[in-house]
This record gives sequence, C-alpha cells and structure tokens, in this order.
Amino acid sequence: MQVMKGKRVQGWFWLLALVIGGLLIWGTQHNAGLYHDPIMKVTQVKTGRATKETDDFHNQDSQTKQILTGHILNGAYRGRSLTVTNTYSQSGAMDQRYHVGSQLFVVVHQHVNQKLTATAKDVKRDTPLLTMIWVVVALLLLIMQFSGFMAFLSVAANGVLFLMAILLNGSTQGAQVLWIFGSLAIVFAALTLWLVLGANRQMLITLATTLGGTLFSIIVALLVFHFTHERGMYYESMQYVTQLPRPLFLAETLLGSLGAVMDESTDIISSLFALKRERPELSTNQVFKSGRQIGSTIMGPLINVLFFIFVADTFPMAMLYLKNGNSWGYTFSMNMSMGVVQSLISGIGIVLAVPLASFLASRFMEKKVVA
Amino acid sequence: MSTISALGLILLILMILVGGKAGAQSFLALLLNFGLLFLAIVLVAFHFSPLIVTLVTGMLVLALTIFMSSGDDLSSTVAFIASAVVLVVLVAVIVPVEQWALVQGFGPEDSEDLEGLSVLVGISFVQVTTATAILSTLGAIAEAAMAIAAGLSEILEQHPQVGLKALMGDGIAVGKQIIGTTFNTLFFGFFGGFLALFIWFTGVHYSFGEILNDKIFVSEILMILFAMVSVILTVPITTWVMTRAVAGQRKRADKAKP
Repeated sequence: MQVMKGKRVQGWFWLLALVIGGLLIWGTQHNAGLYHDPIMKVTQVKTGRATKETDDFHNQDSQTKQILTGHILNGAYRGRSLTVTNTYSQSGAMDQRYHVGSQLFVVVHQHVNQKLTATAKDVKRDTPLLTMIWVVVALLLLIMQFSGFMAFLSVAANGVLFLMAILLNGSTQGAQVLWIFGSLAIVFAALTLWLVLGANRQMLITLATTLGGTLFSIIVALLVFHFTHERGMYYESMQYVTQLPRPLFLAETLLGSLGAVMDESTDIISSLFALKRERPELSTNQVFKSGRQIGSTIMGPLINVLFFIFVADTFPMAMLYLKNGNSWGYTFSMNMSMGVVQSLISGIGIVLAVPLASFLASRFMEKKVVA
Repeated sequence: MSTISALGLILLILMILVGGKAGAQSFLALLLNFGLLFLAIVLVAFHFSPLIVTLVTGMLVLALTIFMSSGDDLSSTVAFIASAVVLVVLVAVIVPVEQWALVQGFGPEDSEDLEGLSVLVGISFVQVTTATAILSTLGAIAEAAMAIAAGLSEILEQHPQVGLKALMGDGIAVGKQIIGTTFNTLFFGFFGGFLALFIWFTGVHYSFGEILNDKIFVSEILMILFAMVSVILTVPITTWVMTRAVAGQRKRADKAKP
C-alpha cells in the first residue's frame, strides 16, 4: 500500500515537472517584450547559391547567402516586417544558418523614406539554455530528492557568491584578485560542506582536508614556478584576459582545484564513516589503510575530471591552429599548456589530500559513529 | 627544466608515494588520455568525422581511466559498463541541444585570439563543439561511476552477504552523499576555467539579456549542465549495473554448490 502510494506521488511529480518544462519553453519563446534590443522572427527564408572558398592553407569551404523575411516582435518597431541578409559558411565557426521560426537580435537602421533595413546580430539562445537548466534541476530533484535539492542549493549559493566576488574584483580593478578568490575559497568550501553534510564532525574533518590539500598544492606550484622561472608557460595564450594574467591564472587554478579536492575528501571521509558504521570494531590503522585504498582508486579519475574540463575546452581553437599551418608543438604551447599546468597543480592537491583525509578521519573520527 | 615537466615529475612521485603501483598506473593513464585527446584533435584536423572520433576516443578514455586505476575487477567492470551506457545516453542529449542552441565555434569575444587565423577551414564547427562538450564530461562520468562502484564494493567486501535491495539503497545513498560535492567539482572546475570570461562580462558591462544569449556564455553553461546530467544519470545506472553483476555472481556461486 505504502509503496503504491509512493509510486503514485512520484508519477505526479514527473507530470508536474513536464508541465513546468513545457511552460518554460513556451514562455521563453514569447518573452521578446523583456528585451531592449529588437528581436525579429523569421517567417521566410530564401537561400542563394553556395560559393566555394579556398584560403592560404588550401582549406576548402563554401559560403551561402540567405535572405530572411520576418517581423519585429518587440519595442518601437513591433509588428513591422523587414528583410535582412545573412551569410553562413559550411563550417560555421563565426556564423550560423537561420531557419523559419528562428528569433534573431537585429540592429535596425531607419531611413528617410520610412523603409526599415536591419542587420542580423545574433540568435536568441535563452530557450535552450533555460530548458537545459530545467532538465538538470528536474532530474536532480526526482532522482536525488532532498540531497539533490541541497546540491542545487549549494551550487546556486556558490553562484551568487561567485558573482559578488567578480563584482568586487571589478571594483578593485583586479588588483586583489588572488586575495578575493582565496578568501572566498574558504567561504565556498565551508558553505558547500555545511549544506551537503550538515554541521558535524565529518564536515569539520572534510573542511580541514579540503583547505589543507588546496593550500599545499598552491604552495608547491609557487615553489616550482620560482625554481623553473615559469619556463614553457605562456600567459599571453590565456583567453579573455582583461587584467594582470599571473594572479588571475593562480585564482583560476585555486578555484578549479578547490572543488575537486572537496569532492575527493568528501568521498573518502564519507566512505570511511559508512565503513565504521558497518563495522565499528575496525582499528584506527585499518581505517587509515582503507582510506588510502579508496583514495588511491579515485584520485586518478578525479585528476582526469579536471584535466578534461581544463583541456578539452581548447579543442576548437587548437584544431583551428593546426588547420592554419601551425606545428603540433606551437599549437600545444599556445592553446593547451596553461590548461595542462592547471591540471597538474590540481592533481598535486588531489593526491596530497588522500593521506591527509585518511589521517584526519582515522584519528578524529568518534570511536563509535552514530548513524 | 620546464614548469610542465617539473610539475609532472612531482605529481608522478606523489602518486607513487600515495598509491604505489596503482598511483603510477593512474599517472600513465593521465598521460595516455592527453595523448588520446591530442590525437583526436589531429584526426579531426585531418577531416575525420568529429563525432565518430569523439565516440571512439571517449570509450578508450573511459576504459583507460577506469581500468588503470586500481579498483578491484568487479567495481572496475561495473564502472566501465555503466559509464559507457551514460556516454551513449549523453551523446543523444548533446547532439540535438548543440544544434538547437547554435553555440558552435567562436564568439565576438574571441576576435582578438582569432586575429590572423582563417576560420573557413571546411570542418563543421557544430560537430567540433559537440565533440568538445562530450570530451569535457568524460572525466566526470568516469569519476562518478568509479566512486559509486568503489563505495559499493567496499560495502560488499565488509558485508559479503548484503541483500540486493539493501545494496540498491546503499548505492543511491552513496550517490546522495557525493552528488553535492561532485556538482561543486564541476561548478568550480568550469567556473575556475572561465573566471576571465566572467570578469570580461562585468568589465565591458554586458546587460543581463546580452549575457543570457551570448554564444560563449551559453556554450560554457551548457557544458556544465551536460556534465551535471551525466553525473546524475551515473548514480542509478551504476548502482543498477552493480546489483545485476552481484546477482549474476551469486547465481553462479549457487550453481557451483551441489
């Protein structure tokens, strides 16, 4: 009876999630009124002939011109129809092909004879973005329930803190970037672990390990930078940099490894607490050994997580470098070297956290764990 | 000595000190993964299909990462099967969403980096960006699958006779313990990597609407979301594969007994 009731309740939740998702998609397709920039909805597309192009490196591509007719959805020109042209290439690195139904941001030029002309700026992307956010939140709540909600809450809270830190960094012209994000790292870690684990001994042990591991990795990195004079590090290859690159790079690395070290410490320490719950008679030494065993199994995959996040992202640019006749070595230096350095520093933090977590957990765990 | 080799050497020594042979293997796996990633880029530059290259690379990376870390046979096999299933599901999600959101290639923020480069290279950037999104989640899938499988395997080792239903519950419980921090790994990993971009947005005073529709921003956030979806799905899928494996083992053990 109980089970059937539970199943039915869950069914209603799935239905509710679907309805909310549908409303969200419909809503973002009709929210043009919220935007200041004029948005045009394409109702007709005329496609021209493709012209072949060859660049200096014998790369062949083709470009096609399309004439888009549609009407403006918002603002002063609402309801006016207009025609814009758009050129897209087969590869589409900097341009895109539009279809009937696409909503585009346009720049409107007013002429004397009241005829509107415009240029297409970019496509509206809020629908797919919000839809995917909704998919994640719905899956999280439906599969993980309360823990999922807490995970979501901690990511949201960290997002807000992150935003505040960026604004603070902007108001100090980026001079204090390392201090701002360094002190925020402590707040981030404490808040996240408190939300995920609650305020208890397990959380304190995990917090100490997280901060210790991250701190050690940054110290090791600074020592290595000092002794190798940062040979083979190309700060000029960092993307989107608007302030002094070196402290920014360290802040990026600090934040990047913080999450992974926290993840690992939680994994090891929660497994050890569960183990102790299952078998309270285990000695301190056995617990330490178990921790090291779990740790050495997961440290490799965890370093990989960061490696792929830091380095896979350079794929499009690295490929472009290769297609523009650059050597493998130069392509690596200019695109991937900074990501690799970041992965290595984080890796050092992750490895150091294993003995630290096992040691702290085995020594400071209560003799009898209360479930 | 260059900074990269010095840091690499320190990492290798630490991994051996902490994990012994297993640590050395994990380091080797990391090196091979880098090789695979670079090879994938080179192959795509030679006009091999980005999606097929990525799928093959993905499977190899998962196998390398999982089997070269020291897990016992059972948890490694379970983690690999589960992560392969998640990878396939994920590809089915990423391909249509990337087509829909039109976030391929580069945005106006990249103009400075693109100076002097020809972008008309005849390779579909929709596929390249899809490949990038898939590759960037590989580590997360493997890690989550391994964490769940290793946690369950520890419980099995300590409690060999635990019931299948209880094991299913334990899996979800381990999942609930790790989901919060795994999300934060992804959040910090990605946001750490894109700190510069966000500082750019505030520095150049983008409006909220502009950020929400910005090509690079949406592309980045989608990558985080794909990684999160993959981690959520990994929990029940890995637990389910583990219970199947244990059930199979027990059946065989029962048959062996007269």
